[in-house]
Amino acid sequence: MHRTPFFTTAVLVCALRICPAGEPLLEQDVLPILRKHCMGCHGGLKQEAQLDLRTLPGLLRGGESGPSVMAGQPDQSPLWKLVASGEMPQEKTPLSHKDRQTIRDWIAAGLPTFATRHAAFDDPLLARGSRHEPPQVAQVIDRHITGQLQVQGLKPAAVADDAEFLRRVFLDLTGRVPQSDQAAAFLDDPAPDKRGKLIDTLLASPEFGQQFGRTWRDWICPPELPSDMNSGRQPIQQARALGDWFSKRFAEGDSWDRIVREILSVKGEIKTQPQMIFFGLVGQDAKVTPDGSTRSVASLFMGVQLQCAQCHDDPYRDWAQRDFWSLAAFFRNVKGDFKKIDEQPGEGRITIPRSAFRNAGQQVPIGFLKGAQPDAAQKKTWRPVFLDWLTSKDNPFFARAFANRLWFQLFSRGIVNPVDDLRALNPPSHPGLLQLLSNEFADSGYDVKHLVRCVCNSQAYQRSSRLTVGTPKLTVDRQLQRFGRAPVRVMTADMLFESLKRVYGDPQLDLRAVDQKDGNTSGESAAVGDAYLEFHRKFGTNEGDATDFTHGIPQMLTFINHPRLLQGSRGFDEFLKAHPQTTPQRAVEWLYLATLSRRPTGDELAEATAYVMATDQPADAYQDVLWMLVNRSEFICVR
Amino acid sequence: MHITDTTISRRDVLRLSAAGLLSAASVPWFESLARAAVQRPRGKACILLWMDGGPSQQHTFDPKPNGEFKPISTSVPGIQIAEMFPKLAQCTEHMALLRSMSTQINDHYDAKYYLHTGFRRVTGLEHPAIGCISSREVGLPGDSLPAFVTIDAGNDKVNGGRFYRSVPGYLGPQHAPLAVQNPMQGLENLANGGDRIDRRLELLAKSEQRFARELPVPAVGLKQAAFDRAVGLMRSPRSAAFDLDHEPASLRDQYGRDRFGQSCLLARRLIESGVSFVEVFHRGWDDHEGAALRIAARAPWMDAAMSTLILDLKNRGMLDDVLVVWMGEFGRSPGDGNGHFCQAWSSALAGGGINSGIVVGKTSEKGSRPGDRVVDRPIGAPDFIATLCSLLGIDLHTEYMAPGARPMPLVDKSARVVQEVFA
Repeated sequence: MHRTPFFTTAVLVCALRICPAGEPLLEQDVLPILRKHCMGCHGGLKQEAQLDLRTLPGLLRGGESGPSVMAGQPDQSPLWKLVASGEMPQEKTPLSHKDRQTIRDWIAAGLPTFATRHAAFDDPLLARGSRHEPPQVAQVIDRHITGQLQVQGLKPAAVADDAEFLRRVFLDLTGRVPQSDQAAAFLDDPAPDKRGKLIDTLLASPEFGQQFGRTWRDWICPPELPSDMNSGRQPIQQARALGDWFSKRFAEGDSWDRIVREILSVKGEIKTQPQMIFFGLVGQDAKVTPDGSTRSVASLFMGVQLQCAQCHDDPYRDWAQRDFWSLAAFFRNVKGDFKKIDEQPGEGRITIPRSAFRNAGQQVPIGFLKGAQPDAAQKKTWRPVFLDWLTSKDNPFFARAFANRLWFQLFSRGIVNPVDDLRALNPPSHPGLLQLLSNEFADSGYDVKHLVRCVCNSQAYQRSSRLTVGTPKLTVDRQLQRFGRAPVRVMTADMLFESLKRVYGDPQLDLRAVDQKDGNTSGESAAVGDAYLEFHRKFGTNEGDATDFTHGIPQMLTFINHPRLLQGSRGFDEFLKAHPQTTPQRAVEWLYLATLSRRPTGDELAEATAYVMATDQPADAYQDVLWMLVNRSEFICVR
Repeated sequence: MHITDTTISRRDVLRLSAAGLLSAASVPWFESLARAAVQRPRGKACILLWMDGGPSQQHTFDPKPNGEFKPISTSVPGIQIAEMFPKLAQCTEHMALLRSMSTQINDHYDAKYYLHTGFRRVTGLEHPAIGCISSREVGLPGDSLPAFVTIDAGNDKVNGGRFYRSVPGYLGPQHAPLAVQNPMQGLENLANGGDRIDRRLELLAKSEQRFARELPVPAVGLKQAAFDRAVGLMRSPRSAAFDLDHEPASLRDQYGRDRFGQSCLLARRLIESGVSFVEVFHRGWDDHEGAALRIAARAPWMDAAMSTLILDLKNRGMLDDVLVVWMGEFGRSPGDGNGHFCQAWSSALAGGGINSGIVVGKTSEKGSRPGDRVVDRPIGAPDFIATLCSLLGIDLHTEYMAPGARPMPLVDKSARVVQEVFA
C-alpha cells in the first residue's frame, strides 16, 4: 500500500497514544523471559508436550493440553497458571515475581505485539521506486527520528557544532582525524552549506574506500585468522589484500550488489582476485565449506543469524534446520581453499552432514530463505541463481542488511540489534526508517556513497554528544536508544593508528616494544607480528559496542611512555620551519587542531601558552603539549 | 548456574571504584611487596608452563625401561621419571603426573586451541582460553594489574606451528592477557619518565577533570580510570613485580639464568603481587628429528626452573594456593619422540592443594611400541580443562553468553573431572 509522504508525525503521535503506557509487548518483554526460562524445553531444540513457545502462532497453537494463552484471560491460560503455581519451569529457578506479572499483564492486555502496536511507524514516508536527492532523504530520516522522540516525550540533543561534526565525519568517512590546516579551513569557512560539501569531499577521497574496506574486512575476518591445518599458516597478507580490494571498490563507487557478486561468484585463482579469500576465511581449516559460507553470507549480506540452525532447529528463533541447509545447497559444489576455488554443476540438493546433532544424513532440496524454491532436479552451477535472488530489488534481506550495518557503524547501534538478527520477532526500533533506507539503497542501484550521503546529511547524524548539566542519565540513555543524541564512541584500532600517524606526521609509525623490532617477526610461531598487526592486537575494541572502552594498563602505558609518542610530530616541525616567526599561541592552536580538530578554549590556550613560555626549551614544551593532547580522553573518543 | 554479562558487571565494578577520577590515592595500592600472600576470595592462582610444540612424554614424565632416557627413582617410592630431571625427581612428592592424556588432535594449532580452551576449534566463534577464564572468574576485580599475564620464554628453534594467543572471545577484551615479551626487561613501556612525565601529567590532569565534568559518559570514565591505574602502577612499588633485579642473585641462579628460568621467577613474583594466572610459554618442543638430543640440552634448565619454582612457592607458604601446570598441546610418538602423538601423553600438576605424589593413568608397557596407547583412565582435553577450572575454584556450571544470545558452558558437557588429583 502506498501512503502519502505527507503523513506527519502528528498522526504518529495519535496512533501511539492508543497503546497504554507500560503495556508489555511480546517481542521486547515476553519473549526474553520465555527464552531464558522456557525455550530450552519448549523451543526449537525440544518441544516437550509438543509445545513450541518461539512464536505467537506457536503460543496460540499450544501443546498437548491445548492453547497456552487465551487473549485477555490470564486465569484461563495454561502458561500463566503453570508459572504462577511454580509448576513450571521444572527443576529450575522459578520466575521472579516481576517476570510472572509481565506474562500476566501481557495476556490480560490481549497479547499485544510490537508489530501491531507500532504499525504506525511502518511507513517509510517516501515513495519507493526511484532514487531521491540526499537532502530529501535526510529530511525524511529526521522525521522518523523526531517522530519517535516526540512519542517518547523526548527532545533531541542540540545540533553538533562545526568542530564536533568535523571530527566525527572525518573519522567515520576516512578513518582518521583531519589535518591541522584542513580543520582550520573548515572551521573558518563561512559557507552555510559547508557540511554537505565536506561530506562530498570525503566521499570522493581514497580514504573513504579504505575506511569502509577495512570495516568490512574486519566484519569478515575473526581477530586471529583461521589457518591451514598443520603449519598453521595465517593468511594475514591475503586478508589485508581483501581489505585493499574492498577499499578500491568502495572508493570507485562500485554498487553493493556488484561488490557482493564479485565476492560470491568468484572462481579460479587468488592471484588477480583477492576477494577469493572470503570463502576460505569463513570455512574450516582454510577449506571452503558450505556451512561456513552459509553462516557468513547470511550474517553479512542478509542480516540473519542462521548459525544455530546448522545443527538443529534454532532453539530461540524461528529458523528451521532445513532453512539453513536449503540455503547451504547453493554453496555445496563450491570447492577450494584460500588460494583457488572451483565449482562444477550439480543437482540442487545437499545432505545434512554427520556433524549435525539432528537429522544427519537427510537430504534437503535447494531453496531460498523463506522464499520460492528453484527446480532442484536441474543440474547447474547454483551460485548465480542465488545471487540473482539475493540482489534483486525486492529481496527482503539484502538492502536491509547493508542499511542496518551502515547505521550501526555510524550510530554504534543498529536499527535492529544485534546487527545481523533481522527477523519478525526481533523488530527494528524504527521500522519505517529501516524500510526507507532499504528502499533508497535498492532504488539507487545499491549506491553505497549515496546512502552514506543521505544519512550523514541528516540532523540525526549531526547531533551533539554534549551533555547539558542536569540531564538525567535515564533521559540520555533513552535519547541514545532513539538516535536523538550522538553516542560517544571509542576509536577503532584503525582509526587510532591512522590518526596517530597523521598527528605525528609519521606514516611508518611503529608502537611495538623497542627491543622487539629486530626479533623474529615473520615466522609462523613468532610471538610478535609486524607493526600493523601488533597495533591491532593491542588496540582492538569491542566490535559489538563501540561505546565500550576496553583498554587497560598495557594500552595506557603505551600512550604514556612509548618512546615514539614521547617525541614530537614531524608535521609540527614542518609547520614551525615554514612559520619561523609564529607565536606560542599560534603553535598551540596548530597542535589542538591537529589532535582534537578544534581550537583551544581561552583557558586551554592560556594554560598551554604559559607552559611553553615558562621554559627556555620551547621545542620540548611543545612535545609535552602534544603528548598531553594525545593522552586526553577526548583524543581517543569519537563524539 | 549463572549467566554473565561481562560488560555490565565490569562497568559496575568500575563505577564503584571510580569515585575519585585521576586521584592516585583512590587506587588500592599494596605498598609492600613483602606482605602475606594475596587474598583471592574467588579462587586459586595458576602458573601454566606451556611447552609449545609438544614435549615427548617418554623423555620426561613417562619413561620406559628400554627408552632412550632411563627411568630414575623419585622422592615418591614407586614413581620414576626420566633421568634428565634429577631435581624434579626430588620434588615429585609435590606433583601429580597425568600419564593418560588422550586428546584426538595431532595438528599443532588446533591442538593448542583445544588444550587451552577445552573446545575444538570452530569457525564463527572463539572460545576463551583458560587464562582468560581465570581472569574473569578468579582475578581481583578492579585491580591495577591485569589478572592474566603471558611471558615469552623464548625458543631454541622456530618450529611447532602457529603461535597460539589466548583469546578472551565472548568474555570481552578486558580479559585478554598482558604480554611480557622478555622476562629480563619486564613490562614494556613501564619506564617512569621522571620529572618530565610528572610535568606532563600535571598539564593533562586539569583538562581531563574538565572533560570528565563536561562529558560524564562511561567511555570517558573508563578511560580515565584505566589511565589512572597505569600511572599508579608506574609510581607504585608494585611495578617492581616486573623487575627481576629485586630478587637475590642466588635465587636467580637457582632458577637458572636462561630465559625460561627467569620467566618462572617472574611468574612467581607476579602471582605474589596479585596476578591470578601466568602462562610461561617456551616455543621449541616440536622435536621431529628426535627428542633425545634436544631434550638433553633443554632438560637442565627445565629441571632447575620448574623444581626451583615448586620449592620457592613452598618456602613462601604459597604452594597450596598456586597450581603449577606443565604441558604442551600433545606428546610425541613412542620411542624416539619423532612425530606428533595425541593418543597417549603426559602432563604434570604441582601445588594448588592437589593430592600430590601420585600418578594418574597408565600407558602400555608391553608390545612392539611400549607407550603407544592408554591402558588406564584416558583423560580428554575437556576433562583436563574441567579439572584445572575445578582446582582453581571455578564453578563448573558457569555459563556465558556468546554473541547471538548463544549460551556457552564453561566446559563441554561431556567433561569429567579427574577426581584423583583432588585432596
